Amino acid sequence: MRYLIRRLLEALVVFFGISLVIYAMTYVLPGDPVAALAGDRPLAPSVVRALREQHHLDEPLLSQYGHYLAGLLHGDLGTDFNGRSVAEQMADRWPVTLKLALTAWGIEAVVGIGLGVLAGLRRGTWTDRTVLAFTIGATSVPVFVLAYTAQVVLGVKLGLFPVAGNADGWPTSYLLPALCVAAFGLASVSRLVRAEVIENLRADYARTAVAKGLSQRRVVGIHVLRNSLVPAVTYLAIDLGYLLGGTVIIEGVFNLPGIGQLLFQAIRAHAGPTVVGVSTALILIFLAASVLVDLLNSLLDPRIRHD
Amino acid sequence: MFTASASLSLALVLALAGCSGGTQGGSGSAKDGGFSVAVGEPDHLTPGRSTVGWDQLRVLFAPLVKVDQQGKVSYVQARSVTSADAKHWTIKLRSGWTFHNGEAVTAQSYADAWNATAYGPNGWAANGQLAGIEGYAALNPAKGTPKTKTLSGVQVVDATTLKVTLTSPDSQFPLQLTPNQTGFYPMPKAAFTNPAAYDKKPIGNGPFKMTSAWTADKGTTVSDYAAYKGTKPKSSAITFKSYTDLNTAYTDALAGNTDVIGVPVSKYGQVKADFGDRVFTYEAPSLEFMGLPLFDKRFQDVRLRKALSMAIDRSAVNKAIYGGLYTPATSLTPPSEVGAETDLCDACTYDPTEAKKLLAEAGGWSGELTITYPGGLGLDELYKAVANQIRQNLGIDKVTAQPTADWAEFSEKVIGKKVTGLSHAHWGALYPSMQNTLRGIFTKAGGCVCSNYSAAAVDTLLRQADSETDAAAAQRLYNDVQKRILQDFPVIPLFYGSYIYAATDRVSGVTVGPADVELTQIAAAG
Repeated sequence: MRYLIRRLLEALVVFFGISLVIYAMTYVLPGDPVAALAGDRPLAPSVVRALREQHHLDEPLLSQYGHYLAGLLHGDLGTDFNGRSVAEQMADRWPVTLKLALTAWGIEAVVGIGLGVLAGLRRGTWTDRTVLAFTIGATSVPVFVLAYTAQVVLGVKLGLFPVAGNADGWPTSYLLPALCVAAFGLASVSRLVRAEVIENLRADYARTAVAKGLSQRRVVGIHVLRNSLVPAVTYLAIDLGYLLGGTVIIEGVFNLPGIGQLLFQAIRAHAGPTVVGVSTALILIFLAASVLVDLLNSLLDPRIRHD
Repeated sequence: MFTASASLSLALVLALAGCSGGTQGGSGSAKDGGFSVAVGEPDHLTPGRSTVGWDQLRVLFAPLVKVDQQGKVSYVQARSVTSADAKHWTIKLRSGWTFHNGEAVTAQSYADAWNATAYGPNGWAANGQLAGIEGYAALNPAKGTPKTKTLSGVQVVDATTLKVTLTSPDSQFPLQLTPNQTGFYPMPKAAFTNPAAYDKKPIGNGPFKMTSAWTADKGTTVSDYAAYKGTKPKSSAITFKSYTDLNTAYTDALAGNTDVIGVPVSKYGQVKADFGDRVFTYEAPSLEFMGLPLFDKRFQDVRLRKALSMAIDRSAVNKAIYGGLYTPATSLTPPSEVGAETDLCDACTYDPTEAKKLLAEAGGWSGELTITYPGGLGLDELYKAVANQIRQNLGIDKVTAQPTADWAEFSEKVIGKKVTGLSHAHWGALYPSMQNTLRGIFTKAGGCVCSNYSAAAVDTLLRQADSETDAAAAQRLYNDVQKRILQDFPVIPLFYGSYIYAATDRVSGVTVGPADVELTQIAAAG
């Protein structure tokens, strides 16, 4: 409990520090956000001035950040340059990204661990080699190549999946993008698990268990598997944080209005409040994920303790 | 979608994430007489505020004036737009037309909308379109808040008569009232009672009406307005689908999920192969060119500027980068602008021998030559190709194409005169008049972030053309202006842009004109 409180307090400090840093980073991006807003069509000088005033762009950094924090204390996350509320946009977009990320994460966990165990148990057989070839393939193809190819082949040519958008809802609209997102992590998880399984099968406790006459299933299922999962769980938990914020490319290719695209567009528009809001949420998720890793690991391996 | 390459920056920069589907579902969008169109996520839909919502606004609103594919000017909501001196204009409206909520479209609807757009503190994007009207300056003071809220030059005479006084004679005023000049659309009273709601669900005077508000990142479906008094649209509904990335829209159209798309530049090379005879193009009133740092002494010699221009094989670049869909520029004003002449620019012809000779006469070039362009907009291939041609054909050792991080950084560099060589430039005219392009690029007041050029002689010639009341004579004078500018050769013209659309075989009658795609002409095969 004390551990949790400490982590939460840390999170609060991290939040204020990071939000100021991110705000400052948006602020020092080269170029004028109002110019970015207009594109290559010039705005009238009076309009530029009015927009600057509306968004406090004519004020120094700390004063801008002050406006932002003042809003925050009233529960207002601010607006982007088009007057859309950041809170509303995040509320619209988090479900999309959550569905995508959790689907991908589920695929990573289930298929990755499954393949890893399979390859580990059948080390040196053609099953192992097939898994190896597959994982090398999955990690070496850049994600956007994979995404475009999957979209054209499976979506356009074969018509197995919707090409883009989330009109068909979960899971139909999310399966193909989730598979593309999951490919890399899935391969990594299976390699991690495979190595651990091989290691643990050779460990003294596993040999002892076998010697004591426990069934193969029980040895692998309870003892080896549990011990083999520690690195995979660490990886998966960190990857969940990454998935929630790092699906920009996939969201773009599949036209899913998620958090990644929001952040990407906001950075291009130099929209401080949006960038800070989204990144802060992402940081909190990373922090939560790392707490989760610690807790899970101490459950899986009682030797890991936090007090 | 706006001009082909304006959409390049606008759609890519501003369009937020979207999704296919709208309200019709992911496929079969051409049911019940309707069809679907891919658009970027609009920033606003109030006509005077929007910078991305062109496709939607052009079907929700009827313009006063329009120009057809052949350059013929005709009236829509206006009955006539007349003036004896090009300074005092009388706009007569057709009576009996109504907004989608039943309110009559009157001269007051125009005055209200124009006043709101012209009021500087509102910060509406179309504000500058009204800058020629008397009283604009009072609404947009250099500092402080304006003392008045209405344009003194706009006078409501009766329900169907509007008198407009301009600050100086402007023969092109009727062309300024065409569909893409969204600052000139009328708005009903409802727009001012609840502006936030109106911005998501504008009530217009056009052939289609919104039945539900715009859903962020998704879109909406508009249906035909039964009481519309103008030319009836060919379909009963249009579904606008919001896309983050037009490349995705392209793939979706290939799969038959979206019927009409503006083709992204990266697909120009393959669009004919993918869509065959379902590709529709119209030469846009836009000019793709390169600006020069005329304040830099190395670029003072006109022969050097011409040498750079003649070293570029425009048709080879056009084939390689744009799949031959653009037209190499041979003048400063695109031919889709009413009365614009072409074949005026000798230095726009590819002639490496002459180019080398001119460069030698100008004293050659030493050191590095850079071409600066905004990164992230898909312009890399174009400027790499241009840089290669200048390097090879002029024998300059080091010619580099340098992207900035994004548009914001690029425009800051250009405005701040921090560009040391050639720079990317584009001008899309919002109304198809030579005046717009010439004023935009080649005068101080023009505001294009591009040319660093202005000349007293050019300003005088432009004023003459502006005050000429005879249309044909005015066109002649504008052509004289561009001939005069070409003597100075202040920019390097590259291409006239194109509006390029592709459509599924479910729709017919795809028409693209000087004001971009005409969605009201498209029929769904059902």
